[in-house]
Amino acid sequence: MIFLKIWNYFLGYLVIRVDGLSLEKFINLCVSRGVKLWGIKRINYTSLTANISIKDFKSLPPIVRIVRCKVKIKEKRGFPFLAYRFRHRKMLIAGMLIFLVILYILSSIIWVVEVEGAQKVDEEVIYKLLEQKGVKAGVYKGKLNLWDIENQLLIELPGLSWVSIELKGTKAIVRVVEGVKPPKLIDTSTPCNIVASKDGIIHQPIVMEGELVVEVGDTVRKGQLLVSGIIEHQDTQIVRYVHARANIWARTWYEGKGQADFSSVLKTRTGRKITHKVLETKNWQINIDTPDIPFDEYEVEEKRQPLLGGDGDKGLAWVIRDYYEVKRSSGRDIDRIAKEKASEEAMENALKNIPNGAKIIDKKFKYDIIKDIGYKAIVYVEVLEDIAEQIELSVN
Amino acid sequence: MKKKKLQQVKSTMSEMFELPKEITLNMPKLNLIGDSQMLVENHRGIIEYTPNLIRVNSTVGVIKVHGDQLNLRNIAAEDIMITGKIKSIEFI
Repeated sequence: MIFLKIWNYFLGYLVIRVDGLSLEKFINLCVSRGVKLWGIKRINYTSLTANISIKDFKSLPPIVRIVRCKVKIKEKRGFPFLAYRFRHRKMLIAGMLIFLVILYILSSIIWVVEVEGAQKVDEEVIYKLLEQKGVKAGVYKGKLNLWDIENQLLIELPGLSWVSIELKGTKAIVRVVEGVKPPKLIDTSTPCNIVASKDGIIHQPIVMEGELVVEVGDTVRKGQLLVSGIIEHQDTQIVRYVHARANIWARTWYEGKGQADFSSVLKTRTGRKITHKVLETKNWQINIDTPDIPFDEYEVEEKRQPLLGGDGDKGLAWVIRDYYEVKRSSGRDIDRIAKEKASEEAMENALKNIPNGAKIIDKKFKYDIIKDIGYKAIVYVEVLEDIAEQIELSVN
Repeated sequence: MKKKKLQQVKSTMSEMFELPKEITLNMPKLNLIGDSQMLVENHRGIIEYTPNLIRVNSTVGVIKVHGDQLNLRNIAAEDIMITGKIKSIEFI
């Protein structure tokens, strides 16, 4: 039914009003002569309205003459009438077409290139390489052979193990995964010792090969021998050299410092935020969003995204301003929040040094108040980690 | 008499071969959806059309439809679609 409606709209139809005495006869005659009517509504005894296609309307006069009724056009609906109205406004139609063409052309060009996932490899290097290969702002999408570029990137940057370039609209998203270099392996046939890589207290030694020379609870220093690769038989005194392997779980300590000034926590963010986008060139700005901010007090963070090869100050740029609503904190809150903030920072700094795979068992915070300025926090984190490190034995 | 017999033969034949009767017997087929829509196939023209009453001619006589705000949504040589609130249907 919806399809029929669209079809009728496309071909155009008329709403007619028929006045006369024998309207049933009019309907019957229309039907028998193949004139299609729909949506017939009787208004009163002498009149009705109906829909009729443009083509059929032309064959109405003979029917009208027989029935002796009057037919008036009440309304013209559909695309042909709309097009008829625009027949003298050629530039309008030309403008629409030009708009569509420009839209199509602009949307088939890459405007933004983004690299995701680069940590060890410098992003700038990837951007530069991409530019060389043709992935840069202002390049026609269809020309790029993404498959080829991906492979070339992989070859030229040995630090990457996987590259994918995805075109999302006018954005080229380059996802990279960096390869993890395998740890230097000591051949199992060469004998080696295991030493401590850090200071700590032995918690649980798991020895797979070699002879443990420390006990649970021992305090070890960095570099101290933990598992010996030299095994001497008790009875025969024959010395055997083995490739010592062990996991030595030990308790180790890390420390992190943080500081928070009272002045920085006078205002706290409430979590509400508004983002404004501004299109900026050297001389003028276009506000995309309405410039009013519904917050009484706020902080602003500004980010700049160059567009169209603009580098920073020159050329076109997106300016994204985040407005954060802030609330003034009361005296007691300032104290609490400053303390929290300092400890958070301290923990963050401590975590930077803690390797993956370590289990945190305990943390202790120590606070120092700096008068009228703020809080200093120190955190001591106790973790369980594997401190085994293989070192080759030189056998003479 | 002869015509009636012919009709009967046609009726039994169409029943035997499971043929649609509206075609073999040239009878109108009424299709009702609740009380809001009615499709009359195989009609012989409209006799009267007012918002409260529609009379449609057919081979078995006049079909009289009473209702409120009756519209002829679609009308073609073979079928009529009546919409609106249908109250009663009579065969005269």
